[in-house]
Amino acid sequence: MSFIVNFLISAVIIGWAVWQLVKVIQKSKKGKCAACDYKCEAKKLAVEAKKKAL
Amino acid sequence: MTTIALFGNPNTGKTTLFNRLTDSYAYMGNWSGVTVEKKVGMIKNTNFAIVDLPGIYSLNPLTKDEAIATNFLLTEDQDIIVDVANASQLKRNLLLSIELLEFGKPTVIALNMIDSLRNMGISYNRQVLETAFDCKVMMTNARGNKGTQQLKQELLAEDPRLPATHFSLTYPSSVQQAIKQAVRGLTQNYNVSSQYAKWLAIQFMNANDAVVSFVKQHNLRPLLEQAPYYQAQHFDDKIYQTRLNYIETTLKEARETGSNPHTRDITAKIDRVVTHPLLGLPIFLGIFFLMFKLTFDWFGTPLSDLLDAFVSGPLSTTVNHWLIAAGALPFLRSLIVDGLITGVGGVLVFIPQIFTLFACISLLEDSGYMARAALVMDKLMSKVGLNGKAFIPLIIGFGCNVPGIMAARTIEQPKERLITTLISPYMSCSARLPIYSLFVAAFFAKNQALIVLSLYVLGIVVALVLAKIYQKVLHSENESVFMIELPEYHLPQPTIILRGTWDKGKGFIHKAGTVIFAGTVLIWLLSYFGPSGVVSNISNSFTALIGHSMVPLFAPIGLASWQAISAMLTGILAKETIGATLMVLYHTSGQTALVASLAHLFTPLAAYSFLVFILLYIPCFATIAVIKAETGSWKWALYTIISSLVIAYLVSFLIFQGGLLLGLH
Repeated sequence: MSFIVNFLISAVIIGWAVWQLVKVIQKSKKGKCAACDYKCEAKKLAVEAKKKAL
Repeated sequence: MTTIALFGNPNTGKTTLFNRLTDSYAYMGNWSGVTVEKKVGMIKNTNFAIVDLPGIYSLNPLTKDEAIATNFLLTEDQDIIVDVANASQLKRNLLLSIELLEFGKPTVIALNMIDSLRNMGISYNRQVLETAFDCKVMMTNARGNKGTQQLKQELLAEDPRLPATHFSLTYPSSVQQAIKQAVRGLTQNYNVSSQYAKWLAIQFMNANDAVVSFVKQHNLRPLLEQAPYYQAQHFDDKIYQTRLNYIETTLKEARETGSNPHTRDITAKIDRVVTHPLLGLPIFLGIFFLMFKLTFDWFGTPLSDLLDAFVSGPLSTTVNHWLIAAGALPFLRSLIVDGLITGVGGVLVFIPQIFTLFACISLLEDSGYMARAALVMDKLMSKVGLNGKAFIPLIIGFGCNVPGIMAARTIEQPKERLITTLISPYMSCSARLPIYSLFVAAFFAKNQALIVLSLYVLGIVVALVLAKIYQKVLHSENESVFMIELPEYHLPQPTIILRGTWDKGKGFIHKAGTVIFAGTVLIWLLSYFGPSGVVSNISNSFTALIGHSMVPLFAPIGLASWQAISAMLTGILAKETIGATLMVLYHTSGQTALVASLAHLFTPLAAYSFLVFILLYIPCFATIAVIKAETGSWKWALYTIISSLVIAYLVSFLIFQGGLLLGLH
């Protein structure tokens, strides 16, 4: 595995972690629990219904 | 798009019906206060949207979530109204039905839980009810999925021909005259239909807060000018009485005695024991003890140990070998094996415990016991100026504090609501379970369930003591009365238990890939690097520096390990990260090895003090933010952070120092 590949994989892992950290903080500000992010069926349908209504 | 609005009293099986109709799943529980905000779902392969609104007893809102339902009628479009009524509580349920029928939209009344009524040996003649209320009446049993498909077909087939209801109740002549006058004024000057004008007038006369605000906002003068007259004439009482009389007469006419009048009232028999003034509380604690026994001793932990053996053994070794073979540099290898597999994997091995506990909670919810638990706690809660209703958000907080705090919206009194919000974070949420599990396995192997139960009870005690103090400081009077409907006991259904468990538990798995992942990488980076760059000894890392600087502060509560202190800091991100951090910092390959390392660093007394601190200290980010959102002020969020830190320190200090004085170690 070349240095570049090592570097890229590490960057992806750390980048994902930083992005998640930012997301958690942003979401927390909105008063949402980190556990409530999963796109459950009802939520998806609600978004679709909203779009259709527009 | 056709919109169907689901209305109904709390605990009529509305959410279950919603799930049956939409083929989707929304959280349901056999107790009041589960639907806090409205949910929207679609009937598969159609353009029918169904809106599940919070349960209400009348359109006159008493609480924030009840206002959601009334405002939905006032401000949003709905094509069909489905009113879900508890068939065995029709007298009260139909009061809401009348208000909805007067709105004039095509309405279907679903008499839900019809089986419970039949078990009581009672049935109602559908045709009599349909004629009396001028709408379609359907018999359903959403739990058993009976009648729900017929209801769905009815809704789909009739649209758009489902006729608007022309239900009109004859009120006393003075009220009728006033309605007539108001309708004339509204239709002539404000471009509203006569049906809507009539509904507005009746609701206004009935002193519906949401409608009064709406009328004031739109300056509907025909109503505003007459308001003093309506009040002086006690129109609201007259309207209520007319409705009640109508319902009683109709039910008398529609009632048919079923074939089995001699039903065994099992529910009453069980209730005599579980809600007994003296036995109720010990039974409640006993049930929780059993839950922890299952979680930690009998089922969860043994499975978790197997999973841990796999993650720390074959998985870790195989990935490490594979990375070496692939030519991965030590940095990447350490990040993946020592960081991710150890940290994230270390938390994921607790899945069996978390899911066992959630399955137990789902089982209690579905059986109908939770409402009894709230009733049992009512007596205790009333001593601190709250009532049983405040116990519902607290018990939801055992799963996660965030929805717990949001459920506090069901409390009418603002001060009681604030107090409940402030004490909710002391409820031991499920995110704290992994760290409890680690420490009880290390120090209290023989009494795991008892120690965890003691932490849960301590959380409740601290919350109640604080509630008492807040009651004195905020001068909160216990004015509200606690009323909860005790649903009949159900034999829990496996599909509902499975879905409930999965719904609660999937958040934990999701967090492993997001916030726990992020926390683990962060702590790994801070422990891999130090002020001088890459460190060979973790004691020179940034994490060690931060942890060491705080050791003197935590020594009085028995904490001498910088690793534990650093772990607590990451716990603010999410409580599950505490366990992941400890795994990374102790460089252990798995739970068993960590348990062995911990035994050298803590005494059992210090370990208990640490667990108490974890239980009570600063809540996670999400909880802090939701406190801000619900109280509408950063002041309370900041107050929560500071007060919880002080309380956690004080209680841990008392336990540790007190324990030392008593000769414990």
